[in-house]
Amino acid sequence: MLKRLLTVQKVLGLLLVLFSFSMLPPAVVALLYGDGALLPFLYAFALILGIGALNWVIAIRASHELRVRDGFLVVVLFWVVLGLSGAIPFWLSPEPELSITDSVFESLSGLTTTGATVILRIDGLPHSMLWYRQQLQWLGGMGIIVLAVAVLPMLGIGGMQLYRAETPGPMKDTKLNPRITETAKALWYIYLGLTISCALAYWLAGMSGFDAIGHAFSTIAIGGFSTHDASMGYFDSTLIEMIAVVFMLLAGMNFALHFIALRRRTPVIYTQDSELRFYLFLMILVTIIVTLALFYTNTYIDWEDSFTQALFQTVSIGTTTGFTTDAFYYWPPFIEILLLFLAFVGGCAGSTGGGIKVIRFLLLIKQGLREIGRLIHPNAQLPVRIGGKVVSHRVVDAVWGFFSLYVATFTLMYLALAATGLDLLTAFSAVAACINNLGPGLGTVGAHYYDMHDAGIWILCVAMLLGRLEIFTLLVLFSPAFWRR
Amino acid sequence: MHWRAILRLFGILLLLYSISFLPSILVSLWYADGQWPAFATSLLITVSAGLILWLSNLRKRHPLSVRDGFLIVTLFWAVLGMLGALPFIIGLNWDIADAVFESISGFTTTGATVIEEIDRLPKSILYHRQQIQWLGGMGVIVLAVAILPLLGVGGMQLYRAETSGVAKHEKPTPRIAETARALWTLYFALTAACALSFWIAGMSTFDAIGHAFTTVATGGFSTHDASIAYFDSIAIELIASFFMLAGGINFVIHFLAWRKRNLWLYLNDTEVSAYLLIFLGGVLAVSISLFLAAAYPSFLEALRHGSFQVASILTSTGFSTATFGLWPLQIPLLLIMLSFTGGCGGSTAGGIKVLRVLILLKLGLRQLKQLTHPHALINVKIGQRPIMEDVLFSIWGFYVLYVIVCLGLTLAMMAAGLDLESAIGAVVATVNLLGPGLGVVATTFAEVDDVVKWLGVFGMLAGRLEIFTLLILFLPAYWRH
Repeated sequence: MLKRLLTVQKVLGLLLVLFSFSMLPPAVVALLYGDGALLPFLYAFALILGIGALNWVIAIRASHELRVRDGFLVVVLFWVVLGLSGAIPFWLSPEPELSITDSVFESLSGLTTTGATVILRIDGLPHSMLWYRQQLQWLGGMGIIVLAVAVLPMLGIGGMQLYRAETPGPMKDTKLNPRITETAKALWYIYLGLTISCALAYWLAGMSGFDAIGHAFSTIAIGGFSTHDASMGYFDSTLIEMIAVVFMLLAGMNFALHFIALRRRTPVIYTQDSELRFYLFLMILVTIIVTLALFYTNTYIDWEDSFTQALFQTVSIGTTTGFTTDAFYYWPPFIEILLLFLAFVGGCAGSTGGGIKVIRFLLLIKQGLREIGRLIHPNAQLPVRIGGKVVSHRVVDAVWGFFSLYVATFTLMYLALAATGLDLLTAFSAVAACINNLGPGLGTVGAHYYDMHDAGIWILCVAMLLGRLEIFTLLVLFSPAFWRR
Repeated sequence: MHWRAILRLFGILLLLYSISFLPSILVSLWYADGQWPAFATSLLITVSAGLILWLSNLRKRHPLSVRDGFLIVTLFWAVLGMLGALPFIIGLNWDIADAVFESISGFTTTGATVIEEIDRLPKSILYHRQQIQWLGGMGVIVLAVAILPLLGVGGMQLYRAETSGVAKHEKPTPRIAETARALWTLYFALTAACALSFWIAGMSTFDAIGHAFTTVATGGFSTHDASIAYFDSIAIELIASFFMLAGGINFVIHFLAWRKRNLWLYLNDTEVSAYLLIFLGGVLAVSISLFLAAAYPSFLEALRHGSFQVASILTSTGFSTATFGLWPLQIPLLLIMLSFTGGCGGSTAGGIKVLRVLILLKLGLRQLKQLTHPHALINVKIGQRPIMEDVLFSIWGFYVLYVIVCLGLTLAMMAAGLDLESAIGAVVATVNLLGPGLGVVATTFAEVDDVVKWLGVFGMLAGRLEIFTLLILFLPAYWRH
């Protein structure tokens, strides 16, 4: 055990060294804009590089192969350690003035691509700080892609192995490259490609270069951080909002599908994937409902506005990105709750989205319907199918188990947050927004989490981690059986 | 679908049900409150309808199938629910939405009310309300113990007496009619004991009988607006708590414990012991929270009100000595979670039921173990018995649908104009068969639109019929032969 812990330490040391280099671009931005926030990034760079190098050197002889089980530990530590390290610039810098608690929250919110912020006035911050926040989400998204597509299925988390079974018949021999690093590289190219296209589109539509890159970062990462307090509403441009819709939808799809489509140079795979079809179906259905509701409650006077706003907000919240336009806060409450519920479903497996993931939701629904069917025909064998293939027992068990613990941890955090004094609506939306990695909640956590006290912030940090790590990855570390042998 | 046999059955049921209007007539005459014509009319209508149905299908004695069972069960509650509304419509001139809501709330033993001044109603009407809950409870016992396990709804197969660990060689009795008789005797006995205890503790005879009716049925209707708080008596609250908890236990266990004169059977049953632990845990958590939040001046006060509310809410009775929605911080939320957990299967309580919640939790924990030992074959066990996969599927499906119904109703109620807190409260009040809710519906449903009341009726039926039984009727596949 100890030997493998050393290997884990070595890997983490290496990761920290790599991460420290991410402090340099913001430093360059600080120099370019002369915004006076250079020092925090340089200090952070040195500190993180030092700690990383130290850990790497201490464990330098460790060369044990990591077992699958160690994967859990690595993944958790990756996010926790990077989350803490990423807090350093926030804490060191006088703008924004953040306590340690708040710094960690902001950093985690970036790396888990949640997008919830404790900062009251974003617009006045130094450009390097703004860049840093956007960059954190972009890097987080890269990590998530690898996590979701390569690591979690290997670990057998909550049905994620399902997505492997998903590839339809003729595609069976086209699996993603078996080794994690090669798979990662392929996915990162796609990720980079999407980011560049998005930035270009934003820039052509009228954003400044700085804003275009920054928002492309947080759009493809399905994060939701913005360089402005008013989020997407700042630009007041339907064109920009529609560009965002397209890229949010793309980022919310399984990146393995993007890979296969590019490899085979044909978009046919998109139409064959049942999870994708259901994902789009849900988006369309909810957009229609919201459009109708907006129009008939006179929130917007004409159909065009009702539709575009409904589309933007539905996709933004449904994929768990979390961009908002100013008017969202004045919408009828039932629409806000409907959209919040949609965020629970979240993005597709293998994307940067949050929530419980479309495929699990699809499976749960089919399960429920199947049970009713079995009451009518008790002796019929009605296995649950996705994409025409029968879902194995193991996977079904894993999904149930996931959902059971998801509900249990949600409930506990909700209780804990309510115990700190928050009203029930705010507490519910705060936990929902964080565990689903959405970002903005409702009530007093609609725009930002500035008013939340420390106890609540820590609870929400746990929520963000649990959500991003798909519950089990974190919880399994607490079971004694994991540490034995 | 054996339509004519079903109609015949309902004819008989209506005739039997019409008898239940007689006590109300007697009460009305006794207290001279002038309502007896309304009850007499209701009786006549019910008798006529019953006679028509029965006589026109006199010879259609087909044995009924499992598929018929779903329809019968749903219609039973819906039809009797409507008929119970007649006195309200005829005697008090209520509109249909209010009358049906109140009546269905009675039969499903929910206990949510649209009435704002209960104390001023005629005694016979008050009696009628209490009685429909008691009758509803009788129906629920049979439903939960004999019928749902046969239909195999949502894991209820687990309650088949012959598979329960306690009753391995001993089932209450094999046929529904005999099972019913045995359990009803128990139910009567508990009601009588409860009424006597209430009376000794100081309630008037009328109140004692009325509250005994709704305590054992875990319904929650009271003859007073202030509910149990009206009496301001610790003795009465303790008696009520005891009998509410009893009402929330599997009646099969009551039967066996009585037959074998063995109290240990309660603790030997996994579900009952979990239920009692949840109760104790809830009492501690709520009382300590109340005390720490300074909601009551002393710990004893906090304990008194905390334990009463926990008993009332866990068993989905809904009696109150305080408006729990106004309690501070996380306490209302904790109580709502207890409400979703509910009582034991095979009892009059609502909610998801303790056994299902236990199994759902175990499913989650099993996955954790599975991750560490990916090739192991781990069973989910209750007591010593492993649960079969198809039962697990069934429980799981139930849970998913329960959540969907609750979420869907919450949205619908919000679309109908309620704020989030009231919508959640209304859903908890109806689907979990609790009675009191939160926000606008914290004490009564008097202030809400008719749409919300009808949604509430749907919720109450869904909750009482364990979701599946109701939803299956909406599937086209069900109606095709």
